[in-house]
Amino acid sequence: MTEKSIEERIIEDVKARFPEDIIEAKVQRKSRISLSVKSEKIYDVGLFLRDKLGFDHIASVSGVDYITMNEFEVIYYIWSIDNKVLVGLRTKIPRDRPILKSLIDLWEGALYHEREAWEMFGINFLGHPNLSLLLLPEDWDGLPPLRKDFLLPENPQEKLEEKIKKLSGG
Amino acid sequence: MVLGLSLPELIELILKVLIFPGVAFSLLFAMIVIWFERKFLARIMLRIGPLHVGPINRTGLLQPIADFLKLVQKEIIVPDNAHKFLYNLAPIIAALVSAMSVAFIPYAPKPGGGYWMIYYTPLSLLAILAIFTARPFIMVGAGWASNSKYCTIGALRAALQLLAYEVPIMLSLASIVIMSGTFDLARIVEAQSSIWFIVLQPVGFIVILIAMMAELGRRPFDIPFAEQEVVFGWPTEYTGAQFALVMVSEYFDLCAATSLITVLFLGGWSGPAIPLLNDISPMLSGIFWFLFKMAILTVIIIMGRGIFPRLRIDQLLDAGWTVLIPLAIIQILITLFTAQWWLPLIGGS
Amino acid sequence: MSVMKLSMGPQHPITGHFRFILDVDGDLVLKLEPDIGYTHRGIEKLVEKRTYLQNLPVIERVNSYCDSLGTMLGYLEVIEEVMGLNVPERAKYLRVISAELNRIASHLYFLCLTSVATGLETMLMWPINDRELILDLLERLSGQRITYTYQTIGGVRFDMPDGFKDEALKRLDYLEKRLEDYYKMLVHNHTFQLRTKNVGILKPSDAVKLGVVGPNLRASGVKVDVRKDEPYEVYDRFDFLIPTGKNGDSYDRVEIRLKEIEQSIHILRQALKDVPKGAIKTWAPPIVPKGEAYSRVEAARGEFGYYLVGDGTMKPYRLKISPPSFRNLIALPHLCRNVPLADVPIIYISLDLIPMDVDR
Repeated sequence: MTEKSIEERIIEDVKARFPEDIIEAKVQRKSRISLSVKSEKIYDVGLFLRDKLGFDHIASVSGVDYITMNEFEVIYYIWSIDNKVLVGLRTKIPRDRPILKSLIDLWEGALYHEREAWEMFGINFLGHPNLSLLLLPEDWDGLPPLRKDFLLPENPQEKLEEKIKKLSGG
Repeated sequence: MVLGLSLPELIELILKVLIFPGVAFSLLFAMIVIWFERKFLARIMLRIGPLHVGPINRTGLLQPIADFLKLVQKEIIVPDNAHKFLYNLAPIIAALVSAMSVAFIPYAPKPGGGYWMIYYTPLSLLAILAIFTARPFIMVGAGWASNSKYCTIGALRAALQLLAYEVPIMLSLASIVIMSGTFDLARIVEAQSSIWFIVLQPVGFIVILIAMMAELGRRPFDIPFAEQEVVFGWPTEYTGAQFALVMVSEYFDLCAATSLITVLFLGGWSGPAIPLLNDISPMLSGIFWFLFKMAILTVIIIMGRGIFPRLRIDQLLDAGWTVLIPLAIIQILITLFTAQWWLPLIGGS
Repeated sequence: MSVMKLSMGPQHPITGHFRFILDVDGDLVLKLEPDIGYTHRGIEKLVEKRTYLQNLPVIERVNSYCDSLGTMLGYLEVIEEVMGLNVPERAKYLRVISAELNRIASHLYFLCLTSVATGLETMLMWPINDRELILDLLERLSGQRITYTYQTIGGVRFDMPDGFKDEALKRLDYLEKRLEDYYKMLVHNHTFQLRTKNVGILKPSDAVKLGVVGPNLRASGVKVDVRKDEPYEVYDRFDFLIPTGKNGDSYDRVEIRLKEIEQSIHILRQALKDVPKGAIKTWAPPIVPKGEAYSRVEAARGEFGYYLVGDGTMKPYRLKISPPSFRNLIALPHLCRNVPLADVPIIYISLDLIPMDVDR
């Protein structure tokens, strides 16, 4: 009987604590775990990961737009300094109602990451203190740009000239 | 008889005011020191400095003149909300006040008696002190008149720093006055004919050198001009000829400060007679030694810019109040209590 | 005095392309809010339109003038992980050599910026001068001084030219001697220590909570370095230390980067000695199969994270870039509360935030 690796032990602990809420949990390779949870339970699973399993260093918050399946996937990547394992805490939310509880109470460093996910995808993080434009210009009025239905203009130079003409009064 | 002077005296006055130590000398000093500072600091930083402008190849001797001419022909921009009268007046007053200090410094003894200085008064030390004390007001006036946040912050910093460091200067000057017994700069130089005051008051010399660097706004004390934080401090908004005046007044101040320290601590014009210059006029030898000592002090003051980072305002005020002032007071006390040993060494009457 | 809103705007001698909105009361900064996005180019959207190979120059310009090789390495790692590609040994060594040279150049540039912030112009000129030597070496390797496009999918593009090894070792010896001058002039300069000691102290627990990475985290005492935690390329074959700081103030953050230059020189000497012969590139198919991966590399500023979703075509479905400066950005408002105005440039520079990294 080979000794269980740290990744497998972590997955066992999570599954034991949240038996029905984990949709999928697997070890991708050494130091990489993927945990897919239901979107209502993401805060509780995150709390358990941070307090009991030592995942304290948030690495990134990324959104992926699966337009064909009409959903967003939000993935929180958190690194554990003691165990040297990266967990990808992921959840899927419907594309026409993208609401998720913000996890900045658990990991303060997610402040700017979630703000960027909001502005790039339109995902509403409940409880975030300041969801305003971070990287985009202040007069941005289009779709959130990283959505798949936001198409980059074919001839950006023309669009820019149109905008300049409009701003300078025709 | 004009102004109560006979014709030879009038010619002498005009020579003094226009050439030495007046307008021509001050401007020449500023130009040479600017060139030297740029070259010297460049060599410290592994750069070369000005290269092209000038007669001798690869020395850039006329670079400061080229810069001055360039600045003079640029447009003078006055910000919209500035207090126009004060804003335009401030650089002129700064340059004039700085240039005025050299009027009271004796540069050499005249062969027929008297001293080569523009205006002789028995209270010349007090006059120079009064001029130095006027500088913070000009800076604050200019900073406020510019009506810009950066200028306001820079002007406040300048005022805090200058007012804090005037006290050590006055205290070390007090020590000199005690030792020589007079406010007359010419008599102070005469009193050093057997031994220079730097030997008798080394602590006072260090105090005044550091305090002068702070008064002049030289690194490590150049917080009022801290480019990285307040863009350029109180002269931020000045352009063109006004900027040139502000820059050149900084070097007039340097001229006055180094002259003052030379007179007070380094024995002024005293030094062995140089045969070649003595044949033309015995005064030239004295002037040579005076300029030589000024040059050494200038090099020391300039070197600070290549070596030290800038201090923070509270660290600087700390240093002024808690270190320099006690040192200056200690110097005064030493001077008072050791009077019987140095009294015989003071020359003159 | 009432509270004044000061804008250290994008045109300011010290902030680069950032804008800070400060609440200032006299000389005291009460609050700092960064306003970023001045160099946002939308790289994450641009890469979705281009093939993986066409994306190489785009990804490089996420952080072009400081650390482009560290940036590239993460992108290549994540692609090669999804593809399951094995890079030949010689290519791995060459990647490590070029990445470490770039790290030294980046830290030298950091020293220049630090001296500008404190007002010591001499230490601005000396490191820039020495950085030329490193850029020269990299030019011999790749033909470019700053944006190299030297590493590619499956290996590197050019081989080491003749005489490169000896020249590199000679320059590294010179650089090591030069570091003593830097210590004397900058780090052990009493005035510099007055300005940076006890300024912007970042406690280790705060650093971990905020997600700070790189030398900033190590200066607070937390020993985290991707090269040791998760060795990639051939870092597990080299023997080097991870320097950590004691107090987490700005002085530690500057000193630790000097020590990292020393460690990089150590790694380079070992790598140059042991470079095996062999191919420098293996053939990489243009199509990346369906799959996901997250790769982490240690760039000069900290940990660079890449998340790739491949969908079986020649273009990425989603590439998320997690740069170190973006993760360090949150430390700046945290540290700049109730500090004198003169400390804000010191704290900002010692965190080593590059606007292009933050904005992508």
